[in-house]
Amino acid sequence: MSAANEKRIHGYTAEFSTVPSLLAACRRVRDAGYTQTDAYTPFPVHGIDEALGIRPTVLPWIALAGGLTGTITAFTMEIWMNGINYPYIISGKPFVSLPAFVPVGFELTILLASFGAFFGMLALNKLPRFSNPLFAHPRFDAATDDKFFLFIGADDARYNEEGVRRLLADLGSEAIDPVVEDDSSDQVPRWLINIGLTVALLSVIPLLFVARMRVTTSSSPRFHVFHDMDYTPSKQTQRLTTIFADGRTMRPDVPGTVSRAQGAYDPDFYTGIDMAALALLDPDRAERLVRFGMQPPQEEAPPAEPAPAAAAEPPSEPPAAEPPAAETPATETAATETPAAEAAAQPAVPPAPVDNTPWLKKNPLTLDEATLRRGQAQFNIYCAVCHGQDGGGNGLVNVRAQQNVVDNKWVPPSNISEPTFAAAVYPDGKLFATISQGKGKMAGYAAQMKPEDRWAVVAYVRAIQLSRNAAEGDVPAAELEKLQAAP
Amino acid sequence: MAIAVTNPLDNTVERPGHRAPLILGKTTFHSITESVASIAETPPSKLWFFGFAVSSSLAGMFGLLIAYLFYQGVGVWGNRSPVFWGWPIVNFVFWVGIGHAGTLISAILFLFRQEWRTSINRAAEAMTIFAVICAATFPGIHVGRAWLAFWLAPYPSLNLWMWPQFRSPLLWDVFAVSTYGTVSLLFWYMGMIPDLATFRDRSKNKWRRMAYGILSLGWCGSSRHWMRYEKAYALLAAFAAPLVLSVHTIVSFDFAVSQVPGWHTTIFPPYFVAGAIFSGFAMVLTLMIPCRSIFKLEHLITVRHMENMCKIILATGSIVGLAYGTEFFIAWYGQVPAEQFAFINRAFGPYWWAYWIMVSCNVISPQVFWFKRMRTDPVLIFIVTIFVNIGMWFERFVIVVTSLSRDYVPSAWRYFSPTWVDWGMLVGSFGLFCTLFLLFCRFLPVINMAETKATLSHQLLHPEHFESH
Repeated sequence: MSAANEKRIHGYTAEFSTVPSLLAACRRVRDAGYTQTDAYTPFPVHGIDEALGIRPTVLPWIALAGGLTGTITAFTMEIWMNGINYPYIISGKPFVSLPAFVPVGFELTILLASFGAFFGMLALNKLPRFSNPLFAHPRFDAATDDKFFLFIGADDARYNEEGVRRLLADLGSEAIDPVVEDDSSDQVPRWLINIGLTVALLSVIPLLFVARMRVTTSSSPRFHVFHDMDYTPSKQTQRLTTIFADGRTMRPDVPGTVSRAQGAYDPDFYTGIDMAALALLDPDRAERLVRFGMQPPQEEAPPAEPAPAAAAEPPSEPPAAEPPAAETPATETAATETPAAEAAAQPAVPPAPVDNTPWLKKNPLTLDEATLRRGQAQFNIYCAVCHGQDGGGNGLVNVRAQQNVVDNKWVPPSNISEPTFAAAVYPDGKLFATISQGKGKMAGYAAQMKPEDRWAVVAYVRAIQLSRNAAEGDVPAAELEKLQAAP
Repeated sequence: MAIAVTNPLDNTVERPGHRAPLILGKTTFHSITESVASIAETPPSKLWFFGFAVSSSLAGMFGLLIAYLFYQGVGVWGNRSPVFWGWPIVNFVFWVGIGHAGTLISAILFLFRQEWRTSINRAAEAMTIFAVICAATFPGIHVGRAWLAFWLAPYPSLNLWMWPQFRSPLLWDVFAVSTYGTVSLLFWYMGMIPDLATFRDRSKNKWRRMAYGILSLGWCGSSRHWMRYEKAYALLAAFAAPLVLSVHTIVSFDFAVSQVPGWHTTIFPPYFVAGAIFSGFAMVLTLMIPCRSIFKLEHLITVRHMENMCKIILATGSIVGLAYGTEFFIAWYGQVPAEQFAFINRAFGPYWWAYWIMVSCNVISPQVFWFKRMRTDPVLIFIVTIFVNIGMWFERFVIVVTSLSRDYVPSAWRYFSPTWVDWGMLVGSFGLFCTLFLLFCRFLPVINMAETKATLSHQLLHPEHFESH
């Protein structure tokens, strides 16, 4: 026997040149009862599935499974990432925005369904398969060109070498050949596997570097390829710079610039102090007031004996030089006190500091009914909560505080009609300053009320004081009649 | 009565009840193999080398410009307030739109059982892949710190401690274009497997056979394999059809979901999709007409194929023209002053020249295809398709730049001008596209031989249905 007979035979092929002859042959082979059959064609032939008895495939179900996986994955990912783990809290909008999540969900569905179709097809076809005994067949190259091959496999139940050869000869084919095992190896070449393993191992090395970086700390700064804005010539305040010739980062005003209220800015109106007089008396304080806003008002000096002596001191030692006011009076008092203390020979109470700020005595607003109405409205909004609508000091805050006060630690709001606050000893400007800056527990209202409104409140406070300290004879006759007539 | 046919290669005339043949001449299965495989087997011509030299230089320039962009920053482009989206996004939408024609030819014409797609679908799908590559480059490089572009992906990050914003159309784009590129690649590759097997079986050179052998995955033409293959092909076609529609819809959402006048309109999704098909078919013809002459494929890519594509161009071009008119109607009917101004500004503002180029190229030029003489002459078709591509680029330019340069607040208006880098990248992207397409022609089968043979088989088996030529 020849060497060819010792090699295993996988089956027999019959070659055809036209589609009708192939289909007729396929039907005959199918009717003869062979099942391990196949046809090899350069293009898909219509009707061959039925001619050979090929059953439909489950591939569409695989694609469906892929698609469903895509949908579920996409929506789970979106809902969890954008709705649960790190929700976007935007003005009452729902955390789970299903309409907005649809596009990504749609795309992932299509992607995974396509993967299911493509990779499922390859898997069901058992591709890639690089080793195939058909490739050793002498004329099989034509199967991808223009010839059609019918194949009956040796593993068929009805297989009988003679019988098969006779059947194929009967079909009118052009050539009948055995498909023989060939010499070439059916394993992937050793060198290819070695290269693949080497590449796989080498590619792990960068990952190890990354992993090491993750778990260690480093004293050197991060590596930047593009420095971008890491080094900028812009400087921090009060540092030197090379950008400007004078080396200063902070620049003076550009010459010729005009401040917003210039010309219309009346410092008296905004501070309640006669600024011209203060500028003579205490120029530093005047400058600070203009630049930085109001300072807290100074405590008025009680009528202590050393006070006149202290008051006789030349104005070169102003009592209200530095804020906060609490500290300064003590030191100033100590300074002014020393020469006067011996003269007074009254050791008991260190006198309070003298306040010789030139407060404005006259309200700069026109005192008409409109101003007073405005003042009344603003007083009732901002002041009445503590001082009461009558200014007596028993506003709602005081009522509640009295219910909750512990250990007498509550100083009630002042009664604004007391003699302490009379215009003679507490000028309008000082009242304005108190409203603006606050005193003790009272907050300053400069941020909530415009200066015009604060002056209006000053006018209204004076009106309250007048009303609380007035006699019946002070009321005009016409008004008295109206009041008596009212129910 | 027979219709006088002067040219044996003319299959554009049909008698009622008889279809014109799609494959002409005395073509056999083997001659199809020969015609297509010989292109990749013979050494390339001087013309190919010349074209490759020019296009690869332009592609190289594109790469250098991208490096320059990364180094200097996005200020090298003309994007300035208020036109923060300039040529990069125009180029992106242009290329993505072109890519849609390939998938339409492959998938949607397959679902409609249009057999004439078989000789053009391979090159059209290749064009899609290369157009998507050119398109995806632009969003990738425009982010400012391109080396951090991976932040767009939903991976658990210990640096960012946050996830992407799935409600943003810009992120929908990431998923849509990635999916589209992947599925198109799968579809194109799967279609090539049988043809790569043909190349493998014809290879004389051992390395060539090994390369094509690996790529063809051991395909042997088994009918059992073909059965699953055809099923997978039909499934992918069914998936790719809504994918095509959804991808350009999502691209249009980049604009439609915003509040900019001229952008915020619901007509954008269908208008963009029609425009994409329009420009894509024009690009397919621009590539196909030289290819069929140079590679001598006139009997496979016949005048009828080109005529059918011209009819589609005519239809989609008319849809685009109708959309332009509808936009004006919506602006008038909606009585929103900013939107009305936006449309008047487009036609008569500082960019009037771009607008009228767009209208003449998109609305007027495809109308010549009503005339049979115009749609059956390859040279005339080629000229018209060049105009259509120019017009579609200008359409995206007009949409993006006119709306941004003049929107709600007049104090923010400014005229946009491109820089030399903008120009260079547009030209460079064409270089990249042509380089990839020339490489495709050199190494891969330009026509789907298996499907074309199936078409020929159908033609041979039922000669009574076809004109006798």
